[in-house]
Amino acid sequence: MLALNPETLKKLRRFRQIKRGYYSFLALMFLVFLFVIGELLINNRALIVSYEGELYFPTYTAFHPGTDFGLPYSYETNYRELKARFAEQGSDNWVLLPLVPYSANENHSTTGIFRPEPPSPEYQHYLGTDTTSRDILARLFYGTRTALFFAIAFTAAVYFIGIAIGAAMGYFGGMFDLLFQRVIEIWSNVPFLYMVIIIFSVIPDTFSIFFRIMVLLSVMVLFSWTSMTYFMRTETYKQKARDYVASARIIGASNTRIIFRHILPNVLATLVTFMPFTVIAAITAITALDFLGFGLPPPTPSLGELLKQGTSNLRTAPWIVMSAFGTLVVLLTLVTFIGEAIRESFDPKKFTVYK
Amino acid sequence: MSRLWRTGLAGVVLAGFLTACGGGSEEAQVRDNTQEVLDYYAAHPELFQFRTPADLPADLAWEDGMDLPDLGSPDAQKGGTQYGSIPDYPRTLRTVGPDSNGAFRPWLLDDVTLPLAHLHPDREFEFYPALATEWAVDEDTATVYARLDPDATWSDGVPITTDDFMFMFFFHRSEYIVAPWYNNYYDTTFSNITKYDDHTLSVTMKTNKPDFRYHILDLRPEPQHHYKELGDDFVERYQWRFTPTTGPYVIEEGDLVQGRSVTLTRLDNWWAKDKKFFRNRYNVDRVVLNVIRDTNNVFESFKRGDIDQFGLNLAEHWYEKLPNDDPDVANGYIHKSVFYNQRPRPNYGLWMNTSRPLLDNQDVRTGLQYATNWDLVIESFFRGDFSRMNTTSDGYGEFSHPDLRARPFDIDMAQQHFAAAGFANRGPDGILVNEQGQRLAFTITTGYESLRDILTILREEAAKAGVEYRIEVLDQTASWQKVQEKQHDIGFVALGVGVEMYPRFWDTMHSDNAYDDAFLDDGSINPERQLKVQTNNMESLANFELDQMIDVYTESSDAEEMLALSHQMLEFHHNYASFVPGFVQDFYRIGYWRWVKYPEFFNHRTPSLATELHVHWIDTELKEQTLAARAAGETFEPQIRVFDQYRVQ
Repeated sequence: MLALNPETLKKLRRFRQIKRGYYSFLALMFLVFLFVIGELLINNRALIVSYEGELYFPTYTAFHPGTDFGLPYSYETNYRELKARFAEQGSDNWVLLPLVPYSANENHSTTGIFRPEPPSPEYQHYLGTDTTSRDILARLFYGTRTALFFAIAFTAAVYFIGIAIGAAMGYFGGMFDLLFQRVIEIWSNVPFLYMVIIIFSVIPDTFSIFFRIMVLLSVMVLFSWTSMTYFMRTETYKQKARDYVASARIIGASNTRIIFRHILPNVLATLVTFMPFTVIAAITAITALDFLGFGLPPPTPSLGELLKQGTSNLRTAPWIVMSAFGTLVVLLTLVTFIGEAIRESFDPKKFTVYK
Repeated sequence: MSRLWRTGLAGVVLAGFLTACGGGSEEAQVRDNTQEVLDYYAAHPELFQFRTPADLPADLAWEDGMDLPDLGSPDAQKGGTQYGSIPDYPRTLRTVGPDSNGAFRPWLLDDVTLPLAHLHPDREFEFYPALATEWAVDEDTATVYARLDPDATWSDGVPITTDDFMFMFFFHRSEYIVAPWYNNYYDTTFSNITKYDDHTLSVTMKTNKPDFRYHILDLRPEPQHHYKELGDDFVERYQWRFTPTTGPYVIEEGDLVQGRSVTLTRLDNWWAKDKKFFRNRYNVDRVVLNVIRDTNNVFESFKRGDIDQFGLNLAEHWYEKLPNDDPDVANGYIHKSVFYNQRPRPNYGLWMNTSRPLLDNQDVRTGLQYATNWDLVIESFFRGDFSRMNTTSDGYGEFSHPDLRARPFDIDMAQQHFAAAGFANRGPDGILVNEQGQRLAFTITTGYESLRDILTILREEAAKAGVEYRIEVLDQTASWQKVQEKQHDIGFVALGVGVEMYPRFWDTMHSDNAYDDAFLDDGSINPERQLKVQTNNMESLANFELDQMIDVYTESSDAEEMLALSHQMLEFHHNYASFVPGFVQDFYRIGYWRWVKYPEFFNHRTPSLATELHVHWIDTELKEQTLAARAAGETFEPQIRVFDQYRVQ
């Protein structure tokens, strides 16, 4: 079991005491858990098929052609139809479908015409369908999954690089500081969008979507860490001159220890306030790039695409924009509450008030 | 008080001083190119000839097209203001040169100015008079003689003469205008213009194609008096000058509000206003065009009554946003009309780059034909309103193939062909793989952001046949570049087409546009050939026999021979299977407020837009009445009409 030092335990206890932040954290973790097992909840593949006395679990396996279950076609089984067919035949065969039996990409129209359909529990389109009759809940779910994981990875990476370099600049000062400031100035003048365009034009389009997302992530991190260093640098400069840093140094603490154990907790307040903005920046950036055609190729579900569809069908299909907008609000509120709680619990100055 | 007066005086003095200075420098810049133009004529004696009326051939058969039916409706009333929108503020008022080919050009050139004679929209290649009162065609020499209407004047009152047509050649061939397309067209298409007197001329075309008279009668003169200062700075100098026009609409001083709106005004004493084919058209007094960038905002403005008409071609607009039970429609304030027209159709479809691996295989291509479910797109996305395109060249009358049909979506047929190409087994994701483990996957590149949903439907359906379509939506220019550079697997593109007599093949199918030196002299493939970029042969199609046919077709002046060849080439192309024909929209739909009136038959046969011929009019009384009724809650009979007199079943 991981042994935590009493100081950290105290901070974690305090975090738990801040109810709003703590419950937000739990809610977000629950969401993340749902996202991880997403294929079991929202999917057009059945969870279990019992056919001729044999059990099949198609969720994570290779595709089953229709012929596997006595259907006359060689492409992927339509499990919803299979279920209806089994029920009709009254045989012992059965199908267990996920809660939402649709994938994010399939056009499923109840009328034969691809148009936005309002939410209907009857067809299990709980949030309705989009302009080409794709299930909104499924698209929202997988779109948010991409955006959230992307944003978490992005924030973590940007904070790690930004904090390490910014703190080093502020702490060591002198030549190191001077040099790195120039490097950052030059680096931040490289146009980000052109770099993305150039890099994406040389990536063959045969690469998988996951790989493209990782490339996008690296490029965005590469060009986003610089702004974080400015805040870290000035804050560290300020804290470095304080008595507690001098005391720590006299005791013989190493530079790393002073930076990460003593200075960092004291500047956390500033950093945490930026966190929701970084998350938003990541989500909007992936959306914007998507729009320019340098993000994820269609039909990959994305929040940005749903928002765009929603705003252009505001009057005729308000459920599209409502679900996308609602999701963004919930997500960002959770992130903000968590950030606020982290700041309060990790701040050594116990009685400051966050305003 | 006195101080104010003194300041005012100082201002006047200063202004006078500035004017004096300005006058001096202005004079130095004023150019007069009359002599330059004459020198140019003299330097090109083959092209520009001067003769006398006595030199006219005696046996000419003059036509005047006056027996053709009128255009528009005799009920049309003049007057009123029409409100519309443009997606961007025009970047220039020039009609040629950089940036001139924008969404505003129809208002300056295409829809409003007059050529010698127009194609009659209801007839097959018959002309009605515009600037010419009569014309005569000499088939043997590919020459058209024309007599200009002595009444014809530019909008600034200067008479239109043969000199303006001579100048048109100088203008369009000059480097000043920075318009290579025009330079090339005027350089390679025509061989001679002859002036007989101020109102008589003849133009000769280099080859006597069956439609040569169309190219000549479609010529539109340029005002020589306006372009006196033509020079290297043409682009900047004429950027915001309104060019005198032969048509009815002008832009008056102060009607350009930079970035916001443009207003056009009808000339009260337009020279052609009482002529047979123009008297019922161009009825609106003022046309106000506001810049509204976003289509949704345009629609909302229309719905508020700020804009008079809105195109409802998309199913989304026709059925969802303005359905028949919408209060404004059901109460009769907004009318909806569908009009079936007849014209060559833009060829929407999938263009395969046959220089790519796999796509060079005939069986793969044929398989893709069967694996692409356009039928579902047409039925479910377009709601059955559109129809299937069958070849690259539909809508050219008898030049289109009478009975070639695009291949339907058929999974079994697709799999047979794929199996023949070595793709017999499905991988773990259901996509076919061959023995080397290669997946049957292709990227479709497109610039049509608004049509991306179509591709996602095709993608889902193709997966059933074991093909993966990866979709790449780029911005318009980037995707066009990619296709022009032949970097694509499959391009989802359409080439726009005007009303022409017969389809073009050389651009899209000749090996000249696919490779440099595609074939050796004996017709075998040149092993060292290189892909040719920046051409419209988007399939990299190179076939020696097809080349021969295209060459004969291009040179031919025999309509019968061309007809047979056209059908043969379309058959070849169908069998080659490198183009999956998409959809055809054989109608347009429009919503308009009750005060916008159209003729009883609604419109003529060929235009692609309801407003193209300007046969509509605005009833100002009806506008007041409708707005008052709407405010008071009074209702009218709803009007949702279908005009299918030109529908081809």
